[in-house]
Amino acid sequence: MSAAYQQAFERFSGTLDRGDRDRRQARFERFAGAGFPGPHEERWRYTDISGLAAREFALPAAADIDLGETLLAGCDHLVYVNGYLDRTRSTAAALHGVAAAEGPDDDGIAALNAAFDGGGLQLRLASGETLPRPLNVVAAIAAPSAPGMVHQRHRIELGENSQATVVFQFAGRGGERLATQRVEIRLAPGARLMLYRVEDEAAGGTLLSTIQASLARASTLRAVTVDCGGGLARHDFNIALDGAGAEAALAGLYRPQAGGHVDNHAQVVHAAPHCRSRMLFRGIVDARTRAVLNGRVVVQPGAQKTDSEQRIANLLLSPRAEVDAKPELEIYADDVKCAHGATVGRIDETALGYLRSRGIDAGQARALLLRAFAGEVLARIGLPALRAALNARLGFPAEEPIEP
Amino acid sequence: MATQETEIRELMKRREYGAGFVTAIESETVPPGLSEDVIRLISAKKGEPEWLLEFRLKAYRRWLKMTAPQWAHVQYPPIDFQAISYYSQPKSHKAGPKSLDEVDPKLLETYKKLGIPLREQEMLAGVAVDVVFDSVSVATTFKKKLAEAGVIFCPISEAVQEHPELVRKYLGSVVPFGDNYYAALNTAVFTDGSFVFIPRGVRCPMELSTYFRINERNTGQFERTLIIAEEGSQVSYLEGCTAPQRDENQLHAAVVELVALDDAQIKYSTVQNWYPGDEQGRGGIYNFVTKRGDCRGARSKISWTQVETGSAITWKYPSCILRGDDSVGEFYSVALTNNRQQADTGTKMIHVGKNTRSTIVSKGISAGQGQQSYRGLVRVLETAANARNYTQCDSLLIGDRCGAHTFPYTEVRNPTAQLEHEATTSKIGEDQLYYCRARGISEEEAVSMIVNGFCKEVFKELPMEFAVEAGKLLAVSLEGAVG
Repeated sequence: MSAAYQQAFERFSGTLDRGDRDRRQARFERFAGAGFPGPHEERWRYTDISGLAAREFALPAAADIDLGETLLAGCDHLVYVNGYLDRTRSTAAALHGVAAAEGPDDDGIAALNAAFDGGGLQLRLASGETLPRPLNVVAAIAAPSAPGMVHQRHRIELGENSQATVVFQFAGRGGERLATQRVEIRLAPGARLMLYRVEDEAAGGTLLSTIQASLARASTLRAVTVDCGGGLARHDFNIALDGAGAEAALAGLYRPQAGGHVDNHAQVVHAAPHCRSRMLFRGIVDARTRAVLNGRVVVQPGAQKTDSEQRIANLLLSPRAEVDAKPELEIYADDVKCAHGATVGRIDETALGYLRSRGIDAGQARALLLRAFAGEVLARIGLPALRAALNARLGFPAEEPIEP
Repeated sequence: MATQETEIRELMKRREYGAGFVTAIESETVPPGLSEDVIRLISAKKGEPEWLLEFRLKAYRRWLKMTAPQWAHVQYPPIDFQAISYYSQPKSHKAGPKSLDEVDPKLLETYKKLGIPLREQEMLAGVAVDVVFDSVSVATTFKKKLAEAGVIFCPISEAVQEHPELVRKYLGSVVPFGDNYYAALNTAVFTDGSFVFIPRGVRCPMELSTYFRINERNTGQFERTLIIAEEGSQVSYLEGCTAPQRDENQLHAAVVELVALDDAQIKYSTVQNWYPGDEQGRGGIYNFVTKRGDCRGARSKISWTQVETGSAITWKYPSCILRGDDSVGEFYSVALTNNRQQADTGTKMIHVGKNTRSTIVSKGISAGQGQQSYRGLVRVLETAANARNYTQCDSLLIGDRCGAHTFPYTEVRNPTAQLEHEATTSKIGEDQLYYCRARGISEEEAVSMIVNGFCKEVFKELPMEFAVEAGKLLAVSLEGAVG
């Protein structure tokens, strides 16, 4: 472990009050002890981040970067640049806060995040409350001169039968960067959360994100995630269906840019009966990129009448690309319906030929087919502004209304 | 063939020693423990050439540096490798039961249900009787027929003496000495196993089976099998037998290597029914096996079929390295876990050559408190243009205390590859059971019928007579799982 982490921690903790400093000191020591996971660990078999230990990251200074059209229209905003709250651009600045990390850390990364956590979204809804507008949380990082790192922790707690829509956008530009983002979600009975997570980390950046969710009786979590960056991104979803009738639907699309490496590890634990889970992941993997998808459904003893499905489909477009997929099932109950499937293939030549025979040139035909393939996931995005932005970012032809 | 006869005579002689000179038998057994000296001793006792001893020692030194793998979805207390005796051949029969009266009545009941003749029952239960005489004539006829075809089929220790050039060329060429923890251990201490060589263009005139190899009875826990099919040859090999085998060994770490050259075909079928332990999970075999086939030549084909119903813990992944262009790999498996059995089994298909194809059909049945895992890897390298894979893994759950797990790995580096993976998990349908019961079929029979239907795709890959037995075996193994 490079000394830079220790130095960064000393500088950071010097500004804190004593109780907080001690709490974080313990977390930091845990991180120093555990370090980053290595490729010999089964969960990190395809993504090697052990090199991060030798890097020399510091907490970056505040900066102003051009967010372009990142901010979504029709939403409330909470904007972070380099981990600092950007009050001028945040219309929902009141939702910012720091909450002390609870429970033990799962691994070195969680401990690192807890030690340096600079705060983030703290959304709490009372029973029956509905968030009036979608909430757009943007966490951007730019490290123009020295290597910089940002660690944030967000919490969403929805009371009984409350509803919210939250969009997380994680982006990074500039020099060498490391970001850890942790989202903790707790849904009370009947609560409904629509969650979007967009990752656009440019080359040079590493994003390690974790979405931890616990769902009580009859609550629903719907999530759509999109990866379109050229850096290294690793996302862990740990969703626990703790109450009967809870439902989680996870849809993800990944199309890394050249040099990009995207690793999604999605785990759903069925801990109660009559729960439903859906996972749909689609990947377009082109030259010099690598995509990893690990789906895992665990049905605990007693979680009867579980209904779960994992569907993974990949288009591999180049001999210089790699896809590693692993849809796992662990089942300890017998009255369950669990299906999973994974495919890897290329663009259907017949479909391409069909379009070309109708006068559509090869490039456009290809783009149309890719859009159709990705559409299965993108169509689940209920915010038109976000869907249009992603469509453009992913290089798909604009959606045109069909003429009657 | 002469060698076989000598062998039998040898075997008989040793038996007599067992009856007459107790000390002589004891000198054949090395005290528990593993060290370079033990390996040198094993090698010396077998009169092995220097290169083989070096090979063993190299593996042992590598093994010392390795740690036991933890990734499998199985649980067992750590194995004390110093408590195992690594050379005891032939196994001392005085430790075995003297007659069938001393054998566990449950085992006998199972034999009866499988319809195994009395003589065979004695052999399987390890009773010290002269069963060999029945088989001598059978074995020699087979030997003659095989020799006419130019097929070599003998114990691997004999092959080391008679065909050192072949053994040296191929041994460890598919499973390298340091491949994994248990393969390294096997390489260091293997005592015996089968050697098969099918020369160019020969279609082996009969199914080869360890069952007919009378000297194969107590191969011990570190078995080593090497099968080589030269250009254009074909062979079907069957290992194991359907009756539960009484065995006092806890750990079985075997290595099987298959080599198929251009246009050659190897079909390897396994029916594994080692002692699974009792209902409480006491005893039973740890079956940690490395099996790998190398489709070295173009248009070669290796097909694995396995029916795994025994062992307390099964941990094996019969694999194919599809190196030759247009080569084909197949894996058909039925694995059953009942009571407290655990199985983590599957396959690896490594696509290297162009237009290589692989098929995986895995059926897992879990009952009682059994834990069943399918773990499979399909890897397509950059060079494997137009590779195809189809994987289907289905699990059947019987009872609410068992587990069925699936860990399918796919790693693809070529855009022309096409991979499909499908899996389902279900329990025996109430409606199916009800339908059978309404037609006067007992519940146990109905379950057995449904399970047989579930496994049909795999059973049809087995040689005929074994398919029938495998069906019976499943029924017996599932007894008490319902109701």
